Amino acid sequence: MEILLEVVGKNVGTKKLLFVTQFEELWFDALESLMDLREAGFNHVVFIHVVERSKVAMRRGKGYLKDEEVKLKEIANVRFIDWAESLFEQGMEVGAYILVGELVPKVISAAQEEDVDLIVTGYHKKGKIEELYAGSEIIEILRRTSKPVFVHKYMLPSGKVNDKPFEKPLLATDWSPASERAVETLINLKGVIKHIEVIHVASEKSLTGSSAMGVQKIRKETRQRLDETCEIFRAAGIDAEAHLYIGNITEQINRAAQERGASMIVAGTTGKGPWKERWLGSVPQKLAEESEFPTLLVPAEIKTTTT
Amino acid sequence: MGKRVLVVDDDPDIVAFVVTVLEENGFTSIIAKNGEMGMAKTVEENPDLIILDILMPKQSGIKMYRELRSDEFLKKIPVIILSGIAKRTFLRSQEALTAFGNEIVPEPEAYMEKPVEPEELAEMIKKFIA
Repeated sequence: MEILLEVVGKNVGTKKLLFVTQFEELWFDALESLMDLREAGFNHVVFIHVVERSKVAMRRGKGYLKDEEVKLKEIANVRFIDWAESLFEQGMEVGAYILVGELVPKVISAAQEEDVDLIVTGYHKKGKIEELYAGSEIIEILRRTSKPVFVHKYMLPSGKVNDKPFEKPLLATDWSPASERAVETLINLKGVIKHIEVIHVASEKSLTGSSAMGVQKIRKETRQRLDETCEIFRAAGIDAEAHLYIGNITEQINRAAQERGASMIVAGTTGKGPWKERWLGSVPQKLAEESEFPTLLVPAEIKTTTT
Repeated sequence: MGKRVLVVDDDPDIVAFVVTVLEENGFTSIIAKNGEMGMAKTVEENPDLIILDILMPKQSGIKMYRELRSDEFLKKIPVIILSGIAKRTFLRSQEALTAFGNEIVPEPEAYMEKPVEPEELAEMIKKFIA
């Protein structure tokens, strides 16, 4: 508890948000939906757009497409100037990177250079084969950073917009170090969050072989742990409610988010090996890529970032 | 040695352009690629003039300009803002920051919206450090 209160105490000063946009999923309206984060001290926005090397790479008979590179960078520059003007006029601090290269290393490098507090990205769907060999960009970012990554889904499949994603998060916890860090991250967002739903999903497998009494005992113990997590939020001044679900983890988290009217899903990321993750997938990856809810993914530990 | 001008801009093409204009007119250039580095160079080098961009990584020109104008010694250095950001935005941002409780800062000596012609820039520079 002492540690968490210290975290609450840190909720001052200017925090930085790195807004990753390839001008496909995330535009200025998506960024505007995050302006509530100013209540939690996010007054500095850094834009980053990476012109992917493949778009300007050498072509037979044409060489390196320098003109194309200049054009793509200038298009990004015009957009960023327009966005920056809106934010500057609100008294915010703004920065921008327009780079050529591979997306993930450039994002990691900028996040490190700027020492950002949150990375915001959209989800750019790749083909199955491409994803298998190149991996998911979001998972690659999570593997290389200790910063929380918010996968924003501004436009819902229903056509509605999610204009207050941080208002009512649903935290899926397994009490791992990453889940504990997710709790700290949410406490730091006090002022933006109105209510938190805290859930744990027990797998059916974990109940196999248990008697009715055994199952009830597991339910009671889990419920108690969930209540303890809720108490931490309440002590920080955030209203919270606990729920226990049983079944497939990703499916149940999505179901809970729908049932509880959540505005986003929050989960810790444990980090399996890269190949295991690519072949089998992981809960954070499935949430980021398949759920219709925006997803805040919080890595467990502080990593030495490599680019 | 000619008078020294600090150029604060993250765009290497713009830096090259401004440095060429400065050198052709007998000035010495000092370069910084963001506001944070710009402040450090200002303190270290005490330039005669600063040419400052707004939208940069690490620290914007808006913040650097505020820091300059809030410093007893550095506030006397003339500043030419050279940016793609409109002057109206710059002024509104300063108003907004003042409304948040920061001190009022005066307008910069000159504000030029990119792109500018070399002669136009040279003429403006000479107005302050001929």
